[in-house]
Amino acid sequence: MPYKLSYSQTDLDLTQTLNKPKKWYYVAVILLGLGVAWGGGSWLHQILTGVGVSGKNNPVGWYLYIATFVFWVGIAHSGTLISAILFLFRVKWRAPVYRSAEAVTVFGLATAGLFPLLHMGRVWVFYWTLPYPQMGGLFPNFRSPLVWDVFAITTYLTVSSIFFLTGMVPDVAIIRDKAKGWRKKLYGFLAQGWQGTDNQWRHYTAAYVFLAALATPLVISVHSIVSWDFAMSIVPGWHSTIFAPYFVAGAIHSGLAMVILILIPMRNAFNLHQYITDHHLESLAKFLLFTATVVGFAYLIELFIAWYSHNPWEQAIFLYRAFGDYWFAFWALFVCNLVIPQLFWFKRFRRSIPFLVFVSIAVTIGMWFERFTIIVTSLAHEYIPFAWGLPSLTWSETGIVVGSFCWFFFLFLIFAKTLPVVSMWEVKEQLEPPMSGKK
Amino acid sequence: MFDLYDYRSMNKYKGSNLMAVFPAMDSLLHGIHELKKAGHENFLVYAPVPHHDIEHALHRPKSPVRVFTLVGALTGFCTGWALTIGSAMHYPLIVGGKPIISIPPFGVLAYILTILFGALATMIGFLINARLPQLHLAALYDERLSSDHYGIQVFCEEGEMKEFEKMLKQVGARSFKRETVANVGRDAISPK
Repeated sequence: MPYKLSYSQTDLDLTQTLNKPKKWYYVAVILLGLGVAWGGGSWLHQILTGVGVSGKNNPVGWYLYIATFVFWVGIAHSGTLISAILFLFRVKWRAPVYRSAEAVTVFGLATAGLFPLLHMGRVWVFYWTLPYPQMGGLFPNFRSPLVWDVFAITTYLTVSSIFFLTGMVPDVAIIRDKAKGWRKKLYGFLAQGWQGTDNQWRHYTAAYVFLAALATPLVISVHSIVSWDFAMSIVPGWHSTIFAPYFVAGAIHSGLAMVILILIPMRNAFNLHQYITDHHLESLAKFLLFTATVVGFAYLIELFIAWYSHNPWEQAIFLYRAFGDYWFAFWALFVCNLVIPQLFWFKRFRRSIPFLVFVSIAVTIGMWFERFTIIVTSLAHEYIPFAWGLPSLTWSETGIVVGSFCWFFFLFLIFAKTLPVVSMWEVKEQLEPPMSGKK
Repeated sequence: MFDLYDYRSMNKYKGSNLMAVFPAMDSLLHGIHELKKAGHENFLVYAPVPHHDIEHALHRPKSPVRVFTLVGALTGFCTGWALTIGSAMHYPLIVGGKPIISIPPFGVLAYILTILFGALATMIGFLINARLPQLHLAALYDERLSSDHYGIQVFCEEGEMKEFEKMLKQVGARSFKRETVANVGRDAISPK
């Protein structure tokens, strides 16, 4: 039994996260809100002026928006991994961390989903990507991985939101039963009349297993499909069969880093040390070490294939990545994603909170650079030197990218003060139930 | 497919019922055992978390949610193929030299829609079977039941109430609430 707590103490500890926020919370919300406003303003400027205000050009038609889109979809992966896959394997340490990880998934996707819209020249006709009958005879081309992506991301957002909200119902009922006034009405509405009868639990636990089983293949498929946006083309550096597993591993790698980055300040702010223990963070660090090794293996295999293939285009693009205009991004991704996490082989580093934060930040930066390197270098240096070119960094595009980070953390802060950040009923499931001791 | 009897009659129960609240799970299990021993199966159990011991004591049938999942997933699978093949036949435009009906890429859509429809059907199945959403909680619902107490709601004749109360008190129930006539909410019918 990992905890020595009672049911009522658990409820008390985990509902105090919803108490009136302190000053730092309001300051953080305002600062992040300003960042979101900067991003929103930049987008408005782009809509009114034209997509030319972003730094993308010909040949680099996919630039920071698409790199950041892939980054956020990746961030969204660890949530479902922790909540669904670890649930199916009955891994006990997932219970106190999965709710926050799921929130990372849902908000990561809510952020990622904006980027294809941001990337569009005419966002007001975004619905042309959806299959609906219309007079113009325009219909999505289902052979295109971009259309698969629309379906994959929408499905992932829908399924992970269902999983997230369903998991929360019994906890919201606990809050409803403790709340008074308008809060009781609000949480009563959210709990949808949950009472915890044996009937409800019977159907709930069955539904939860099936939702987990359905969400699991999505972890694998969504980022595979995102990788095919690139791998299905004939662009050097993209046309590779290892892209699907390589992207999935990278997605989980970045997602785990983000979960650690969120959990550590949250644990301190809400005083949840009894629930999110060093053991939980160490387990996540071990996982991160594993994904770092898989990602590193993929990096090296990519280089090996470029050399072994004798394909001059493939070789040229990898030399360009290492020693060309964006050499810093290439080496940063190696150091941040592969080298630095190797220190997690040592328990001392896995147990050190400052080091956990440092590695998580490094991996987050490294994974963004990975997407940047893959997307931008391949387009900038394709086949014919005549068509080579570099994009430019603009204020509008930078504002939108920074705004997306603010948007993500803004959503998480709102969530942290309105809904339980740790699953109460699943933590209680691991406790000794109240017993009278009578025979 | 789902508990049809319960579903039809879920708001019709107007009879007497008794809510016994237990501070401990072993007392609850004794209570369930005693009720079953007395041949009374018409009761509901309330618990803050699911527990295998409670499931074993109750011995309820398997949840039919799985049927919803299967039907939803199969519907999604068929919809995926129908949408892609149907629209390709309707707009027969050769793209990239690929056949009009391109099986591998269309399979990706069928795969995604299998999961999407399966998940939506699972949620619908859960809501229907768990009788959610409910506008009102059971009249005898006790707010401690979601936190650290357990409850047994016994549906019985008014005359039997005292007998059941005595029986459950003996095994450790600490507080009781009674209702004689009013509508007791959707969950007031025991599962078949």
